[in-house]
Formats: sequence, structure tokens, C-alpha cells
Amino acid sequence: MKVTASLPTGVAAVFFEAARQRRRLETMLVDRLEAAGFGEVVLPVVDYLDPYEQMLSGRSRSELYRFIDRDGELLALRADFTPMLARLIAPRMASLELPLKLFYRGDVLRYQEARAGRERELYQVGGELLGLPGEDAEREALERFIDLLVHVTDQPVRVVVGIAGALDGLLLTHGGAQGAGALVAAVGRRERQIVRAVPALLDVVTSGAPRDPEALGEAAARRLVRVQAMIAALGERLSAPSPGSSSRPPVSLEVDLAEFADQALDPALRHLVGPRAYYDGLVFRAFVGRAGLPVGSGGRYDRLFQTLGGDDITAAGFSIGVDRLALGATPEDVPVPNGRTEGAA
Amino acid sequence: MMRIALPKGRNLEVALAAFRAAGLSLAGLDNGGRKLRMTLEEDGLEILLVKDWDVVLYVEYGIADCGVVGSDVLEETGADLLVPVRFKEGGSRMSLIGKSGTLPAPGAHIRLATKYPNTARRVLTERPWSAEVLKLHGSIELAPLLNLAEIALDIVQTGRTLVENDLDELETVADIMPCLVAGRAAYQRHRPTINDLVDRLEKAGTVF
Repeated sequence: MKVTASLPTGVAAVFFEAARQRRRLETMLVDRLEAAGFGEVVLPVVDYLDPYEQMLSGRSRSELYRFIDRDGELLALRADFTPMLARLIAPRMASLELPLKLFYRGDVLRYQEARAGRERELYQVGGELLGLPGEDAEREALERFIDLLVHVTDQPVRVVVGIAGALDGLLLTHGGAQGAGALVAAVGRRERQIVRAVPALLDVVTSGAPRDPEALGEAAARRLVRVQAMIAALGERLSAPSPGSSSRPPVSLEVDLAEFADQALDPALRHLVGPRAYYDGLVFRAFVGRAGLPVGSGGRYDRLFQTLGGDDITAAGFSIGVDRLALGATPEDVPVPNGRTEGAA
Repeated sequence: MMRIALPKGRNLEVALAAFRAAGLSLAGLDNGGRKLRMTLEEDGLEILLVKDWDVVLYVEYGIADCGVVGSDVLEETGADLLVPVRFKEGGSRMSLIGKSGTLPAPGAHIRLATKYPNTARRVLTERPWSAEVLKLHGSIELAPLLNLAEIALDIVQTGRTLVENDLDELETVADIMPCLVAGRAAYQRHRPTINDLVDRLEKAGTVF
């Protein structure tokens, strides 16, 4: 058989300057995490499938590369660091001192349809914070995530923040268990025609959040107000001049519940949940420069930790796709509109 | 400056008419020429003219911020794009086409010719036939006419081509409309501009 240099769909070999750039980005991220007190964990690329079965959504199941090894064990290639780390830490909690700050780096492999920019092998650097009190963990995870991004790029960083389950009440009230799926898809696509009859959802689609938070229900409204206050405070800190650093890229930070419409928590909507089905609190996602896809994401996942036998602690984390970041971090020929610096929200 | 990818095909005039109705001047647009990239200073837009099927790629990769593309192409490519509104003009339908006047009998094994193999496979999961899907690049109507396939799945606008070729529209599968699309990252980058454009299109009554 003639040997060719072709590779399977969705994977790539990186050579020379591109490889150097990727390693440089990785090193910058890792150094920053270590300086912030994060300790490295090195995780295997193959694991048993069984521990993860109970937490897989339909979409995360379809992403998994599964196989039976020669011992007859059903195994899966690593598709996500967070659940693997959680399952390995949860049983050892009693012997560990909290809070824990951990980071990892390596490949995840996810089957995706062959489409624009959808790699099947992604190189990630990420961090997890375990055992910080309540919403402090969310704030620190988000702040650390943004700090890493502005540390490695000179391109504008746009971070959108949501709350898992925040739209559940609205979706169920107006769509019912049967119609909620169509509403989730419409909100996710910001399709105005379908949500126009529900003013609060139209607000979410156009502005990111309802003008009257009470439309979400009492608990979700209170949570939204707290999150808005948190990101306003964080935005003020980010827009303040940074001592000794004049080249920080512009950062925008906004609540956008529509971006996370499929992060449902209600059991009646769980079948609609996207691949990262374990988030149950704050969720966030970042876009850098002109990259067409998010370069990283994160959120809070206490329930995942408890499901895997861990204590009732707060768990939050984030991951950054190094290759996507490398694409977005490269200055393009198109500047930020009018060359202005975007202030934080 | 926001960059919009417009299709060179049947949806271009629909999009331009709607944009004009929404108050864009489109001054500087060289529609009949060979320029593929134009800056419309007055409107604060850069226009890319690309093939209908390529609009999705330009927007998904973030090269263009927005685009106009048919819902048939969106459905076929499975693109993960925002679709704030659909245009009222330029509608057509995706239909099963054949020469016998009736759909194949349940249980029949058929060949189906189409430009939309992914959509065809989804359509076939709800039909009582086993089928081989043949991907063609054009002149789809010839396939059932010359028995390359029993039926075809294609866009029907006026139905004139079918009449002229003695073919029948057997079943409408979907209504097709040109859509305004935006990339997820582009939306975060240009949220006020995109929402303003959509508001103006809505006010002009040119979109659903």
C-alpha cells in the first residue's frame, strides 16, 4: 500500500512555526496558572466508560469514541477533562486539603460531524477550583479564565455569561414539556419570529436577559441580579488601569442567557442539554479576535462532583482551546470597529 | 465595520431589496461587475459576494459576520449559526419530484437524486421506502426523467421546469426562505449593529 501523509477528518499535525506558537501559548497559560497557585494533574487519555454513563447527555454520548479492549472492558477516549478529574478526586476528598486549585493540559477527542472549524482533537489547558465558598468559586473561575486570556492575546476578548437552568421556567411555561425543545432551539438561534409572542424571551434573544428579571421566576431572578452585580464589579476591575501593564486587550463581559439556552436543569428539559451537561450554576464562554468559534468556556458543576461520590462542595472550572486561541490571537487585517477600546459591561 | 456575505444566486436581489427597504443606501455596490469585495462607507458595511453554498462557511469561520443564505442550505449543512429573521420574499419549496404522478409504494426500494443528500436522508427516515441517495450537482430533474432515480428531491419555485419536462411535484417537504444569518462570535462582536439591522428589517416589513 502506498503511504500518504493524509490524516483522519478533524485531526491535524502541527509543524514548525505553528507548533512553536502553540507551545508558547501553552507555556504562557501554564506559567500563569502555576503563579496563581494551581497544581498540575496529568490524566490518562483512556478511561472506563462506566463511571460516566449516568451523566452523559445524548449529545455528549454521541461525541465519545468508545471501544472494547482485549480484556473485554468498555473504554472511552478522553472527551472532557472535568468529569475525569472529578471522578478521580471525589473519592479522595477526605485526604485532601481544601480549597484545591488544579490545572491540566492535553488533548480531548470528540466525534463531530465534518464541518467548519469542528476539530475532533482539541488541545486544552484548563483549571478547576474545588472547595471555595459558594459563589466565590464562580467568580474566581471566571476571573482566572479572563486573566489567562488577556495574558496571552492582544486581541479583543468577549466573554458572555449565563446561568444554567435560568430559562427553564420560562421555557416550560410557554412551551410545555413538548414544545420547549423548539423554544430552546429558537432562543439559541435568536430566531425572533418564534419567540416574539413571549416578551421576556424576546428580551433574552435581543438583549441577553429579560428587562424584568422576575419573568424568570423568583429564584432565577435573584440569581440573575447577583450575577449581574458580580460581572459589573468584575468589569470595573478589568477596565481599571493595570499597574505596570499598558497593553491589556479590551475585554467585554456581558450576561447573555440566550447563548446558554440549552443548559437546562429541570428534569423535563434534561434531554435538550448540550454536551457539557454537568454545569449547574454560572456558565461562561469567550470569543477572541475574529475567531468564529469560542476559544474557551467554563462554569460551576457542584452536582457532578456529588454524583461521583464527592462531598457537598462548590466546584468550578474552565478550559481554553489552545489551537483556537492561536487562531483568534493572531491579529487580523480587520481592526476592532473604529479602532476603539471596548469598555467592560 | 461589519462584513456581510451575500449570495450571488437567486437570493441576492431579495436581500438587496430588503436592505434598501430597511434604509441602507447600498451606495458603492457593484452588483453587475466582477468585484467580489466592496466597502459601502455610507452604510458602514463591507460586502462579500460568494456562492450561496459558501456563505455558511464564510460566516461560520468568522470571515464574514453575517450572511444571507437559503434555509435549504442551512438545513443541508447543519451550520451552527444564528438565524434572527427570514425574508418574506424569495420563498420556494423543497419537494419530492417524479414522473409517475404518485409516490413510490410502501416497501419499495428506490433511488433518490438530489443536491441535498443530508436533508434527503433525514426525509427518508420518515418514509416507508428503502432508498439509495444519489448526490447530483445540477439538472436534478433529468434523473427521474431518464430513470437514473425514481424520484428527486429539489427546490421548486414556479414549477415551470417540471411542467416543461413532464414531471410532477409529488410532495412538498419544506418551505424554503432566504435567511439572515450571523456567526455566534460575530454576534458578540457586533451585537448592537446586528440587532439594529434586524430591527430595521422588521420595521420595513420585509422579514418574518
